Amino acid sequence: MFAAAPDFVIEAGSHHYSSIPLWITLVPMLAGIGIYLLKDLWETARKVCTLVTSFAALVGVILLFPFALTGTVNYDLIDFMQMGLFFEVDLIGWIFAFLITTVWFLATLFSFAYMDLEHNRRRYYSFFTFTLGATLGVVLAGDFFTLFLFFELMTLSSFVLVIHEQDVESMRAGILYLYLGIFGGLSLLFAILMLFGATGSVEIVPALELLGGQRTAIYVFFLIGFGIKAGLVPLHIWLPQAHPVAPSPASALLSGILIKSGAYGILRVTLILFSSPDQAGAADISYLFIIGNALMWIGIVTMLAGAVMALLQSNMKRILAYSSVSQIGYIATALGVATFLGIEGGMGFAGAVYHVINHAFFKAGLFMMVGTVYMYTHELEIFRLGGMLKKMPLVAITFLVAAFGIAGIPGFNGYPSKTLIHDSLLIAYRDYGLFSLDLAEKIFVLTSALTICYFIKLFRRVFLGPVPEKLDVSYHLPLSVKAVLSSFALVIIGIGLFPNLILERVLVPAAEMLNYEGYAMDHLYHFHFFEWHPLEAMLIVIVLAAVIYIPGAYRRWFDWKPPWWLSVYALLYRPVTHRLMEVTCRAGVFVDSSVDTAYNRSGSAAKTWCTYVGSLDSKLDDLYEKSGKTARKLADRSTDMDSKLDQFYEKSGDMARKLADRSTDMDSALNEAYRKTGEAAKKLAEQTSDADRKLDNVYNKAGQKARSQMEKRLSEKKDRSEGFDPVKWTTKNLSFDTLLLFLVLGIVLFVIFYYGRTN
Amino acid sequence: MVVLGSSTVIAIVIFIVAFPILMTPVIMFSCRASEQLRNFLALAVSAITFLAILPLYPFVRGGGVIQYTLFEVLPNLEVSLRLDLLSFGLAALAALIWLLCTIYSIDYMAKEHACSRYYPVLIFTLGSCLGIFFAGDLFSLFIFFELMSLIAYILVIHEETEEALKAGYKYLVMTIIGGLALFFGMIIVFELGGTVSLGVGTIIEESSLLALLAFICFLIGFGMKAGMFPLHVWLPDAHPVAPSPASALLSGVMLKTGAYGLLRVIFHVFSPDLLQSSGWDTILGVLAVITILLGSAVALTQTDIKRRLAYSSIGQLGYVLLGLSILNNNAITGAIFHIFSHAFMKSILFLAAGAIIWNTGKRQIEDLKGIGRQMPVTMGCFSIAALAMIGIPPLNGFLSKWTLALGALDANAVIYVLVLLISSLLNALYYLPIIIPAFFDLPGDMNHDEHDEHHEIKFEIQEATPRMLSVMIVLALFTFVFGLTPNNIVYALSRLTAAFLLLGGGF
Repeated sequence: MFAAAPDFVIEAGSHHYSSIPLWITLVPMLAGIGIYLLKDLWETARKVCTLVTSFAALVGVILLFPFALTGTVNYDLIDFMQMGLFFEVDLIGWIFAFLITTVWFLATLFSFAYMDLEHNRRRYYSFFTFTLGATLGVVLAGDFFTLFLFFELMTLSSFVLVIHEQDVESMRAGILYLYLGIFGGLSLLFAILMLFGATGSVEIVPALELLGGQRTAIYVFFLIGFGIKAGLVPLHIWLPQAHPVAPSPASALLSGILIKSGAYGILRVTLILFSSPDQAGAADISYLFIIGNALMWIGIVTMLAGAVMALLQSNMKRILAYSSVSQIGYIATALGVATFLGIEGGMGFAGAVYHVINHAFFKAGLFMMVGTVYMYTHELEIFRLGGMLKKMPLVAITFLVAAFGIAGIPGFNGYPSKTLIHDSLLIAYRDYGLFSLDLAEKIFVLTSALTICYFIKLFRRVFLGPVPEKLDVSYHLPLSVKAVLSSFALVIIGIGLFPNLILERVLVPAAEMLNYEGYAMDHLYHFHFFEWHPLEAMLIVIVLAAVIYIPGAYRRWFDWKPPWWLSVYALLYRPVTHRLMEVTCRAGVFVDSSVDTAYNRSGSAAKTWCTYVGSLDSKLDDLYEKSGKTARKLADRSTDMDSKLDQFYEKSGDMARKLADRSTDMDSALNEAYRKTGEAAKKLAEQTSDADRKLDNVYNKAGQKARSQMEKRLSEKKDRSEGFDPVKWTTKNLSFDTLLLFLVLGIVLFVIFYYGRTN
Repeated sequence: MVVLGSSTVIAIVIFIVAFPILMTPVIMFSCRASEQLRNFLALAVSAITFLAILPLYPFVRGGGVIQYTLFEVLPNLEVSLRLDLLSFGLAALAALIWLLCTIYSIDYMAKEHACSRYYPVLIFTLGSCLGIFFAGDLFSLFIFFELMSLIAYILVIHEETEEALKAGYKYLVMTIIGGLALFFGMIIVFELGGTVSLGVGTIIEESSLLALLAFICFLIGFGMKAGMFPLHVWLPDAHPVAPSPASALLSGVMLKTGAYGLLRVIFHVFSPDLLQSSGWDTILGVLAVITILLGSAVALTQTDIKRRLAYSSIGQLGYVLLGLSILNNNAITGAIFHIFSHAFMKSILFLAAGAIIWNTGKRQIEDLKGIGRQMPVTMGCFSIAALAMIGIPPLNGFLSKWTLALGALDANAVIYVLVLLISSLLNALYYLPIIIPAFFDLPGDMNHDEHDEHHEIKFEIQEATPRMLSVMIVLALFTFVFGLTPNNIVYALSRLTAAFLLLGGGF
C-alpha cells in the first residue's frame, strides 16, 4: 500500500558527493574534546553543548535520507593515514545512523536528570559525545579500514563510560571489556589485512570469489572481531558485566546501540562481502550454506543461552544485559538464514534489520526505565524492590509497553520483526527440509517464551507487590525523564501498530539494494502482520510462556543461581587466558633469562679459564723465578769457584814466577859453566883438530868403501819399508818428556799472558 | 626553497658532525664558570646542530646524494662522508630528539649529581651519533659507532650505583664484542671487495662462505646495538639505570644506529637480491620474530616501569628488523617509519616515566595508581604514546604497523602479520595496566571504603616543570600528527627513502 508511493523512485547507483558524513562524525568527536576542556563550573554550558551536538548529528543524518534512499552519499579524505578515510552512506548505513542519533538524543535528555546525582560529570559528557561520533563513523564508513578506525575509537571511548563508577566491580568489568575490545579490534585488523592481501582493496563490496583459500580464516576473524562487540556466545562474557555497571543512560546506549555496531559489521561482512545473491556460483552457494548455517547456529545458541541466563538473574540491569545477548542472537540467526537462503534471503535480512531497530528502542527504553527506578531507590536487586507501579506509574506503564515490545506481543514493535525472523526460518525449512532447521525454529519459539517469562519475573518483582518500607516515599520525576520514557513508549506502539510503514519505506528498498528476489521479496511487499498465520505463532509462544512460567514461579526455578564454575568465564576464558598468559610469560622469561644465563655462564667460564691461564702463568713465573734463583746460586758458586781458581791461578803464577826466577839463575849458572867448559873444549878441540885431520884422511878412505856398501844396503832397505806414515813416525819420535815440557811451557805462557792481561 | 650547492652541503655536514664534538671541551670548561652557562651552551649546541641539519632537506628531497672523500688512510681505505635521504632522515631525528632531551635534562638533572660530566658527554655522543649517520664508508662508520658506544657508557653508569656499574659493565662487554664483530666483518668486506665505501653500490655480489661470515658479523655488531635476540641482554639492564633523558636517547635514538647500520649493510654492502636469493634474509626474519615475541612477553612480567619500557624497546626494534628482513617497498617504508615512530613514542614514555620518578620517586608499576590525577599532563602524554605503541589508530604506531603488515602481505607472509598483531595484543596487556589504574584507580594509600561514590576526590595536582611538560607535549603531538595523514613529512620521507634504497641507493 505504501510501496507504490511515487515520490520514492529508486535509482540505484546514483552517488551523491557530500561532506555531511564527515561532519556528522567529526563534530561530536571535537565537541567531546571541547566539553572536556570546559571548566567544572559551567554545568549548563556543558549540557547545552552535549544536547546541541547530538541534535545536530540527528539533523545531519535526517538530511542524508533522500540521498541514501536513491543511492549513496560518498565522501573521501584521501590524505588520511595510509588508506584514506572513505565514507559511503547507503540505506543500511543510514538506518543504523538514524537509530544511533535518535536514541542518543533521547539518552542525552535522560542523562541530564540522571547524571545530576553522579560524580565526574565532565568526563561523562565528554566521552558520551565523543562516543557518538565514533559510533556514527562505524556505520557511515565506506570501507573496512575506516570502519576499523572508528570501531577502535568507539571501544576506547566507551570504556570510560563503562568504568564511570570506578568501584571494584566496574573496574573489573571495564578492564575485561577493554581487553576483549582490543582483542576483537586486532582480530578485525587481521581480517582486514588478509582481505586487503587477497583482493587489494578494503572496500565493502562482494568479493567472495577473490578471497581464495583464506576465506574461512577471514570470515572467522571478522566474526570474532564483530562478535565480541555484538556479544555472540561465547564471546559475550564482558557484556553482562559491563552493561549493568555503567550509568543507566550509558547502559542504554551500550545495550541498545553499541552492540549493534557489531551486528552491523556482521551484516556487512556476511551479506555483502561474502554473498552477492545474484552473482554467486554453485560452489559459492554451498560454501555460503555452511557459513550461513554456522552463523545461524551461533545465533540460536546465543539467543537461548542469553534467555536462560536472563531468567536466572536477580539484578535488574543484568537481566536486561542478558536479554540483549539473547536478542542479538535473534539478529544473528536472521542474518545466518539470509546468508544461506541466497537470493531468497530478503525476509531474513529484513527481519534482522527490523529487529535491530526495534531492539534499539525497547532495550534503550528499558534501561532508562530501570535507571529511573535506580535513580530514586539506589537499588538494583529485584528482591529488594516492589510496588513501584504505585510509586512511579508512568515508569511502570512505559516499562510494560517496552516489555510487550520485546516479548513480541502483537501491537508492539517486537512483533513484526520476530514474525519476519520466524517466517524466514519457516521458508528455510520449507526450502531445505532439514531437521536442524526445524529444531532451530522450535528453539526460536522456546526462547521467545522464555523472554516473556523473564519479563514477567522482572515486572512482578519491581512493579507489583508491596513497597519495601525503606522506599515508601513519594517520587517526583522530572519532565525530561517523563518525556523521554513516553517517547520510547510511543515509538514502540507506533511501530507496533503500523509495522508496514518502516518495512516498505526503508527495509524493502534496502533489501532491493542487495538484489534479493523471489518468493520472500514478493511476500515482503505486502506483508500482512495481522493475519491468522503470524498471530497463531505468537499465540503459541504466549501459551508456552504461561506453561513455563506458572510452575516455574511456583517452584522457584528461576531463583536458582548457577554455580560459578559453570559460567563460560570459568569454563573457557579463565583457563585459556591464564594458561596462555602463563605460557607466554614463562616462555619469554625462560628464553630471556636463559640467554642471560648463557652469557653469564660463558662469561664466568671464560673468567675461570682466564684464572686458570693466569695461575699457569704465575706458575711459569714461579718456575722461572726458581730456575733463576738456582741459576743465580749456580752463578754465585761458579763465581766462588772462579775466584778460588783465580786465587789458585794467582798462587800457581807466583810459584811459576819463582820457579822461573830460579830457573833463570840456574840458566845463567849453566851459561857460565857452559862458557868455561867451552873454553876448555876449544883448547881441547885445537889439540884434537890435528889428530882429526890425520884421522879424516883415514876415515875418508875407509868412508868411501863404507859408503858404497851403505848405498847398497839403503837401496835394499827402501825396498823393504813401503807404507811409510809420517804421523806415526812423528809421534813415535816425540818423546813424552818433550810433550810435557811443551805443555808446561804452554801453561806457563798462558798463565803469564792471562795474568799479564788481568793485572 | 633554495637548493644548496654541493660544496656548501659538504661544509654543512662536516660542521654538523664536528661542531658538537669540538664544543664538548668548551662545555666541560664552562662548568667552572657557572652551571647556567654550561646548560645554555649544551642547549645552544644541540639547537644549532639541529637547525644546521634542516637546510639540507631541499637538497636530499631532490634526490641529491653526496659521497665525499675527506682523506685516505691507506690505499682504498678512506674517511669519507655521505649524505642521502636515509642519513638525513635519521640525523634530523637524532638531532631533534637530542634537542628535546637536552631541554628536558635541564630541569631533570638539576636534582642529579655530576652534571658537569653529564652534559659534555651528552653533546659528544650527539656528535658521534651524527657521525655514524653521515659516515660515507664502513671504516668511518665503525669509528663513530665505537666512539658513541663507548662514550655512552658514561651515560649508562651516571648514577654510579652498584646496579648501574654492573649494567654498564655488561654494556661495555657487549659493545666490545659487537665492535670486534663489526671490525672483522669490515675486514672480510675489504678482502672480498677491495673497498669499504658505501658509495660504490654493491660491494659483495656473490654468495660465498666468507660473505655469509661477513653478514653474520654485521648482524652481531649492529644487531647487538639494536637489541636483537640473542644479543639484547645488555639492553634491559642498561636503559633503566641511566638518567631518564639518557634512557630516552639510548632507547629512542642510539638503538636505531644498529638498525641504520643494518640498512646500510643490506643495501650498500650486500644487495637485497643477494640476501633473498641466498636465503640470508630468513636469518634476520627468524631472529626478528623471536625478538618481537620475546621483548613483548618479558615486558609483561616486569614490575619496574623503566625495565618494562626497555623490554618494550626490544620488541619494537624487532618490528624494524622484521621490516628489514621482508625487503619490499612497504616493509622497508614501515621499518624506516617505525624507526621514527618508535623514537617519538619511546622518548615520551621514558621522559614521562622519568618525570614521575623525578616527582614522586615511584618506579614500581603497582605504586603508580592514581598518578594520572596527580600528574594529568604527564600521564596524558604517556597514555597517548602507549596507545600508539598498542597501535590504536590514528596514532603513528598504527600507521607503521599497518605499513609493515602490508609489506608482509606483499611477501605472502601472513605469519608475520599474525606476529605483529599478537605483539600488539601483548603491548596492550602490558601498557594498559599502567594507564588504567593511573587514571581510574585510587592510590594505594587511599582506602576504597572511605571514598564516597558520589563525591569526587580532589587530587592535588603536582606536575613536572613546564619545560619538561612542553617537551612531552611536543612529542605527543608528533605521534598524533605523523600518524594522521600519509602526506606528513616523516611518512613521505620514509617512503622516499625506501624507494631510493630499493632502486639501488642512487647509483
